[in-house]
Amino acid sequence: MEILKLNSVSKYFGDYKATNDVSFSVQKGAIFGLLGPNGAGKTTIIRQITNIYYPDSGEILLFGESVSSKHQNMMGYLPEERGLYKKLKVIEQLIYFGELKGLSKKEAEKRARLWLIKLGANDWIDKKIQELSKGMQQKIQFISTILHDPEFLILDEPFSGFDPVNAELLKDIILELKSQGKTIILSTHVMSQVEELCDEIVLINRGKIILEGKVREIKKSFGRNNLKIEFDGSDEFLNGIDSSKIINRSNNSVEIKLENENEAKAIFSKIDNSTFIYKFELAEPSLHEIFINTVGINNLNEQEILEIQK
Amino acid sequence: MKTFNLTNKVKIVLKHEYLSKVKTKSFLIGTFVAPLGIVALFGVLIAATFIFKDTTERKLAIVDQTEYLGQVLVDSDTSRYYLTDKSEEVLTKLTEDSKIDGYILIQEDILDSGNVPIYTQGGGGIGFTSLLEKNLSRIVRKERLKRSGTSDDVINLVDSGINLNTKKVTEEGIKDDKTEVLAYVGYALGFVIYMLMFLYGTHIFRSVLEEKSNRIIEIIVSSAKPFDILLGKVLGIGLVGLTQVFAWIAIVVILLTFAGQIAGAFIDIDPTTLQAGMTMQDAQTKQVEMMMSGIPEISPWLGIGFVFYFLAGYFIYSCLFAAVASAVDNEQDAQQLMVPITIPIIIPIALIPMIMANPDSVPAIVASLIPFFSPILMIVRIASTQVPIWQILASVVLLVSTFLGIIWLTAKIYRIGILMTGKKPTIKDFYKWIKMS
Repeated sequence: MEILKLNSVSKYFGDYKATNDVSFSVQKGAIFGLLGPNGAGKTTIIRQITNIYYPDSGEILLFGESVSSKHQNMMGYLPEERGLYKKLKVIEQLIYFGELKGLSKKEAEKRARLWLIKLGANDWIDKKIQELSKGMQQKIQFISTILHDPEFLILDEPFSGFDPVNAELLKDIILELKSQGKTIILSTHVMSQVEELCDEIVLINRGKIILEGKVREIKKSFGRNNLKIEFDGSDEFLNGIDSSKIINRSNNSVEIKLENENEAKAIFSKIDNSTFIYKFELAEPSLHEIFINTVGINNLNEQEILEIQK
Repeated sequence: MKTFNLTNKVKIVLKHEYLSKVKTKSFLIGTFVAPLGIVALFGVLIAATFIFKDTTERKLAIVDQTEYLGQVLVDSDTSRYYLTDKSEEVLTKLTEDSKIDGYILIQEDILDSGNVPIYTQGGGGIGFTSLLEKNLSRIVRKERLKRSGTSDDVINLVDSGINLNTKKVTEEGIKDDKTEVLAYVGYALGFVIYMLMFLYGTHIFRSVLEEKSNRIIEIIVSSAKPFDILLGKVLGIGLVGLTQVFAWIAIVVILLTFAGQIAGAFIDIDPTTLQAGMTMQDAQTKQVEMMMSGIPEISPWLGIGFVFYFLAGYFIYSCLFAAVASAVDNEQDAQQLMVPITIPIIIPIALIPMIMANPDSVPAIVASLIPFFSPILMIVRIASTQVPIWQILASVVLLVSTFLGIIWLTAKIYRIGILMTGKKPTIKDFYKWIKMS
C-alpha cells in the first residue's frame, strides 16, 4: 500500500528548478532513503510533502489524498536544522509541539513523560532548553517529532549530534517504529545508516532523481566487482595494478575495483608466502561508492566526501 | 484520525504566546511595579505641595477710604483681615518693624481703577496673593454691578454662580482650565498608545525572529498554516497588552479610590473655620472633595476609545513588525527596514501639540483619520474636544480595513520570509514575495 506518492512534482524558485519532475512512491511500513548531495533539493521536496511549500506542478498524495494542511497532524517531521525555544522548560516545549499536532494538553503531557523516561531524559523535565547539552536537545527534538504518534515520519539527519550509544538507542527506536507499521522517510549523508536501515532509496541531484530502487537491487545492479583484501606482510602483489582502480587503501587492507572476475584470479596468483591473507572477498560496491560514482565526484566538495565516508 | 479545524491552531499559538509572555518577570514588573512607582512619585509631589504650603498665618490691616468695602472684606475672612484707623505712615513703620504683617489700601476710586496697593515685607508666595486677589475682586465686582444699577436679584444670581464655580476649581476660567487638563489627559493617553505600540511591536518582532533564527519555525509551519501562526501570535501578544492595560486601569481606579483618604491626612484645617456640627474629619473630606473635583470627569467613552485605538494601532504595527522580522536573519539586518515602520509611529507624536491647540481644525481632522496616525491622534482629539461621531466611525472603518489589508500582505511576506535565510532582504524582495504567493 502506498502511503506517499509524488507525481511529476516540480517547484521553481525564479528560474531555478529546485524540484524537477520528481516522481516516487513510498510503501507502508518502509524506511525510504531520500539521498543526495547538499543543495540537491531534498529539503525542498520534504517541504512540499509537509505542506510548507506548494508544488508548481504535479501532485503529492498522502494516504491517497492530495496533501493539505489537514494532513499535517498525521506527519512527524524532524528537520535537519532544528530548534527549540531556549527559555521554555522541556515539558512545556513538548506539550506545545504536541498540541500543535492536535493532541490535548493532558495527552501531550502524559506521552511526553513516558518518552522522557524511555529515553532516559526524565531528570530534565523541568529544565529550560538552554540548560541542556546539544545531545540532550536532540533527544527532546526527536521526542517532539514522534509525540503525536504519526503514521508517517520524515527524519532529516536524525543521528547528527548523537554519541554512538545514543545513536544506537535512536536506531532501535526507528526500527521499533517501523515494526509498528509506521512509514519513514530518512534523509542522510551517512551511507552506512542507509545500508542498515533503508529498504528503498531515491538519489537526487540538482532537483532530479538520478537513481532509485531497492537498496539490494541497486547494489546488485552495480555487480560484484569490488575485491576486498585484508592481509599481513608484503604488499608486492599489488604492484602493477592501476592506481585509479584502487578505491581504498590502508596499511593492511585494500579495495580494488575490477572489470571482471578474471582480474581477481590474476591478482590472487601473484600472492606468495611473503603475504598472509586474512580475507579475499569479491563484494558488492558500498552505497557510498555508488553515491559518489553516480553523483559524480566533481559534484561534491571535500566536506561532503568526508561525511559520506563516515 | 481526528482532524482539527484551523481556529484550533490559532488558539494553540495564541495560548502559547500569551502564557509565555505573561509569566515573564519583565511583564509582571511593567504591569504592577511600574504604575505603583509612578503613582508613588505623584503622591510624593502632591504631599510635597501640602507640606510646603504657606503655614505662616498672615493678617493684613485694611485702610478703607471707601468707608464701606473694607468692612465687607473683613467680613469675608476675619482670620485674615482687620480694619484700622491708623495712618499709612504709622502702618508702614509698623510693617517695617515687623509689628504687623502688612496692610492693604482700598482707595476711593477702586471701582474704576481696580488698583489695590498692598504693603508687606515682601513675598508671601503665589498662594497668598491669589487668595487676596480673589477675595477682593469678588467684592469689587459686586460693587461695580450695584453701581451700574443692576438689581439685587441679578447680583445675587451672579454672585451665587461665582460661588458654585469657586467651590469647584477655586479659580476663575473653569471651562478653559478643564479643556486644558483634558487635552493633557489626551496627550498622556496618546503617548501611552505610542509606547505600547512600540513595546508590543517589539515583542512580536522578537517572537518571530526567535523562531526564525532558532530554526523552530520549520517545525511550526509543518504543523500549522503560516497565516494561523501569524494570527495566533498577533492575537496572543495583543491579549498580553490588553491584560497590561486593564491591570493599569484597575490600579489607577483603586488608587484614586483611596487617594482621597491618603491626601486628607496632609490637609490642615483651621479649627476656627469649622462650621457648626462639623468634625475635623468632615472638613478634611470636604476639602479633598473640592480638590478632587479639580480633576475633570473622564467619560467612559474615553476609556473605550483608548482600548480600541490601542488595539487598532497595535494590530496594524505588529503586523508590520512581524513582516520585517520574518524577512531578516538578525536584528542588525532589520535596522534599515524598520525605518519606514517607525516614522509613521513617530510623526503623530510630533503632531500632538498642534492637535491639542486646534483639535477641530481641518488638518487635525485629516491627520487623525489617516489610519497610521489615527490610533494616537484620534484619542488626543477625543479627549480635547467633542469629535463628531462620523469622524470616529470613519476612523474605525479605515483602521479595520487597513488592518485587514496589512495582515493579508504580511501573511504573504511572512510565509516566504520565515524560510529564507542568508540574504539581507530589501523592500523590492517584499514586493516579489507578495507577488509570489
